[in-house]
Amino acid sequence: MLRIEGLNVSYDSERILNGIDLEVKAGETLAIIGESGAGKTTLGLSIMGLLNGNARGRIAFDGVDLLSLSKDEMRELRWNRIAMVFQNDEDVLNPVHTVLGQVLEPMVEHRLKNKEEAEQRASQLLSEAGLSSDKFYAYPYQLSGGEQQRALVAMAWANEPELIILDEPLSSLDAVSRLEMMELLKRMGRGRTILVVTHDITAAANLATSIATMYGGRIVERGATPAVLYNPRHPYTRALLRSYPGMATGKDLQGIKGRMTRGVSGCPFHPRCTQAIEICRREVPLLVKYRERLIACHRGGIIPALSVKGMSKSFGSVKAVDNVSLVIDGGGTLALVGQSGSGKTTLAKAITGIIKADAGDVYLEGEKVSRRGKDFYRRVQMIFQKPGEALSHRLSVLEAVKEPLDIQGIETEAKRINRVKKVLEEVELSTSADFLEEYPHHLSGGELQRVTIARALVLDPQVLIADEPTSFLDSSVQAKILKLLLNLQEQRGLSMLFITHDIAVARKISDRMAVMLGGKIIEEGQSSGILASPAHPYTQSLLKAAQGNSQLG
Amino acid sequence: MINKRNMATYGIALVFILALNFLLPRMMPGDPLMAIYGEDALIQMTPELKAHLVERFALDEPIWSQLGAYFWGLLRGDLGHSYYYNAPVSEVILGRLPWTCLLVGSSLVLSTVLGVVLGIESGWRRGRKLDKSLLTGLMALGGFPDFFLGIVLLLVFGVTLGLLPLAGALTPYAELSGLALSLDILKHLLLPLASLTLCHIGGSYLLTRNTMITVMQEPYILTARAKGLSDSQIRYHHAGRNSMLPVFTRTGMWLGRLVTGALFVEMVFAYPGLGYLTYEALLARDYPVLQGVLLMVAVFVLVANLLVDLTYPKLDPRASYAH
Ligand code: SF4
Repeated sequence: MLRIEGLNVSYDSERILNGIDLEVKAGETLAIIGESGAGKTTLGLSIMGLLNGNARGRIAFDGVDLLSLSKDEMRELRWNRIAMVFQNDEDVLNPVHTVLGQVLEPMVEHRLKNKEEAEQRASQLLSEAGLSSDKFYAYPYQLSGGEQQRALVAMAWANEPELIILDEPLSSLDAVSRLEMMELLKRMGRGRTILVVTHDITAAANLATSIATMYGGRIVERGATPAVLYNPRHPYTRALLRSYPGMATGKDLQGIKGRMTRGVSGCPFHPRCTQAIEICRREVPLLVKYRERLIACHRGGIIPALSVKGMSKSFGSVKAVDNVSLVIDGGGTLALVGQSGSGKTTLAKAITGIIKADAGDVYLEGEKVSRRGKDFYRRVQMIFQKPGEALSHRLSVLEAVKEPLDIQGIETEAKRINRVKKVLEEVELSTSADFLEEYPHHLSGGELQRVTIARALVLDPQVLIADEPTSFLDSSVQAKILKLLLNLQEQRGLSMLFITHDIAVARKISDRMAVMLGGKIIEEGQSSGILASPAHPYTQSLLKAAQGNSQLG
Repeated sequence: MINKRNMATYGIALVFILALNFLLPRMMPGDPLMAIYGEDALIQMTPELKAHLVERFALDEPIWSQLGAYFWGLLRGDLGHSYYYNAPVSEVILGRLPWTCLLVGSSLVLSTVLGVVLGIESGWRRGRKLDKSLLTGLMALGGFPDFFLGIVLLLVFGVTLGLLPLAGALTPYAELSGLALSLDILKHLLLPLASLTLCHIGGSYLLTRNTMITVMQEPYILTARAKGLSDSQIRYHHAGRNSMLPVFTRTGMWLGRLVTGALFVEMVFAYPGLGYLTYEALLARDYPVLQGVLLMVAVFVLVANLLVDLTYPKLDPRASYAH
C-alpha cells in the first residue's frame, strides 16, 4: 500500500529525515512513536506532499511514486486517497467557516458530490464522529477541543480515502474524551490503512497493529505492537517507554540521559546510548531484520550484559540453585524475587564467584567467563543486604571507597582520590574532609548503604548485583536509595540484578522480573506483564500479599 | 453582538461632541454672536436681526437655557443660517452631501476592492515578480498626496488630451436627463475618482498583503492544501477571507472621513462636495457652515464606527465571542 524507500528530507540544509524505509500494508495501522522533534510529523507531511523542504527518495503509494507526481496529480490524490487528521493545535480548522462547511468542502471541490449530497454526507459523518447536530453550523472556536477533534476526523473521512494519517490524534483531549476518541478511531478506522504519528504510547498501544520507533529522523525499531511495547529491543525504544507514565507498570519514571541533538554522525542515538561502542560514532546502523522485527543497532539492540546458563548449586542433598538461566539486559534491571531460602542469594554468590557453582556458566556481554580475576570484578560488582558487613569498621569512608581502586592498582593516588570524590557526589554524599575521615559506626544506615554503593561503583562496573540492598532501611531511606539506583542506571547505563523478597520493591525498579521458588525460576518476563497477569500461583500469592500490605498502608 | 455598554459609549461620545460644538463658540472671548457668525457677518447685520438672533440662541439667558435652545434647534434639524449662501446651513450641507457620497463612496469601494484583490494575489505570490512590482508601484502611488495625483491627471487627461471635463460635477445649464445625464456625471466623476482611488489603494493593498502573508502561515492553510483544494479556493475562500478582516475595519474607519476625505481633490476639480464647501466656507469665514460640517464629520465618524462594530462579527465569528 505505502512503501517508503530511502526518504531523506531536509529544510534549509538541516536534515530532518534520514533514509527512512517503511512499509505499511493495506488494512494495517502503524504507529510511529518518538519524542517531539524526531521527525514524525515531517514524515506525515511528506507523504501528503505538503513539505516546504526538500525530499529525496521514494514514497510509493499503490506503486506510484508520490514524489514524482505533478502538482495537479498530487492535488487530485490528496484527500481522495490520502487524508490527514492534523494535530489539533490552534486554528487547524479555519476560524471563519462553519464546521459543516469545512467537512463538505473537499467533497464539493473534488466534484464528488453536489452541495446537497455533500451536506448530507457531512452531517452523517459528523454525527458518526459523535458531534451533536446542534454544533454542525458552529464555528471552530465555539467547540471544545474534543469536538474539534471529532470534526477533524469527520473531515478526514469525507472523501473515503484509503490511507489516513493521524497526527497526535489524542493530544488535545482530557482523559475521558481520549478514551472516546480512541474508540471512535478504532471503529471508523476499520478496513482502512492508518498511520498514527504520536508521542503518546497509550494511543499507539491501543490503535496500532505495529509500531515503528523514530529517533533523530531515522526509524530505529519496527515490530508488532505487543512485541515492541512489552519487549523493546532497541535501547532508545526502551528508554522512551521507561520515560512514559503508564498504568501497567509501577516502575518509577526514568529519563534518558542527555538530549536529542541533530546532525550526529553514526547512530543518531549514540550520544545518549549507554551501550555505544566505537563503530556507533562512525557508522549509521542499518535497519535489519532481527527475530520478527527490524532494528537499527550495531549491537543488534539491547545487549545481554550478563547471562547465566544452567547454573546449579547443592548443599548436601539440598538443591539451593537448580539449573537456573537468566539474562540481564544491558542498561536494564532484572529483579529476582523470592522468599528467603529460595536460593536467590546463593545464585548471586555463585554468579560473582563467592561460592563455586556445581554446574553452569556465566557470560559477560556474550563472552564466557572462565576465571573470575580482577578483570571480572572491574566489570561486575555486588552490594549486600547489610552494609555494615561489607565495610570494614577500621576503614574510613575514603579508604573504604578507594580500596577497590587500590586493589586494581588503577592510576595514581591523587587521581584515585578524585575518583572517590566523584563517585561520592554521584551517590549524593558529602565530599568534605570531615566526612571522608568518618568511620562506619558514625554513619546512618542510609549513608552506609550509599558508601557501599559508591564502593561498588568506583570501578565503573557494567553490572551491579544488589542483594536486598534496602531491606534494612526504613521506607523513606529505601525510596531514596531506589531512586538513586535508577538515576545511576540512567546516567551510566548500569545493568542490575536486583534481588528482593518484596515484589512491591521489584515493581518500582525493574524492567524484567524473575520469580524464584525452591532454587528454580518459575516465571520470568517483562515486569509490567507479570504484574498485570501473573501466570504461576506462587507469583499470584506474592502479588496478593503485596496488595494486601499496600491496602493496609 | 454589540452590547449595551458599547451603545452607551456611543451615546456618551455623541453628547460630548454636541456639547463641544455648543461650548466652543461661547467660550471664545468677546461677543458670542461674533464667534458664532464671524466678524464680517456681524458688520452687515441690522440691530433687529442681532436682537432676533440673541433671542433665538437665548444668548441673554443663563447657559442652561442656551443649551436647551441649542438642542431644540438641532432636533428640528436647524444648524443655523448661512449668511454667505443666504440659506439654512442644513440645506447647504444636504445639497452638497450627495456629490461627496458619490465621489468618496465609490472611491472607497473601488480602492478597497482593488486593494484587497491585489493584496491577496500579491501576498499569495510573496517575493515573486508580480508581488514585487505591485508592492513598489502601489507604494509609490500612495506616497503622493491625492491632490498632486489630481493635478497630474487633470493636466494629462483634461488639459492636454482634452478627454474629460476640467471642473465641476455636471455640465452647467446643459439640462441633460436620463442616460446622457448619467454619462455626464460619470465623465465629471472619473478624474477625481481616479486620483482618490489611486491614492488610497496602497493602504488597503498593503494591509491585505501583509495579513495575507501572516495568514498563509496559519495551520488552516496547510489543512486546506492537504484537502487538495484548488489554489483559487485556498487563496480566496481560506486565506483571503481571513486577510480581509483588518481591511474591513480600516475601511470602516475611513467611512467616517467621508465628508472631509476628499477636501483637496474636490478643491482641485472644483467638485461641489462637502470638501469643497468647507473650503468655500473657510474663505468666506462662514462659521455656521463650518460648524455644521464639523458636526457632520463627528457624527459620521461615530456612525461609521458603529457600523463596523455591528457588521464585523458577521465577517469574523470570533469577534462576538472574544469580548
Ligand atoms: S549500541 Fe550503538 S547502534 Fe545501537 S543504539 Fe546504541 S549507539 Fe546506536
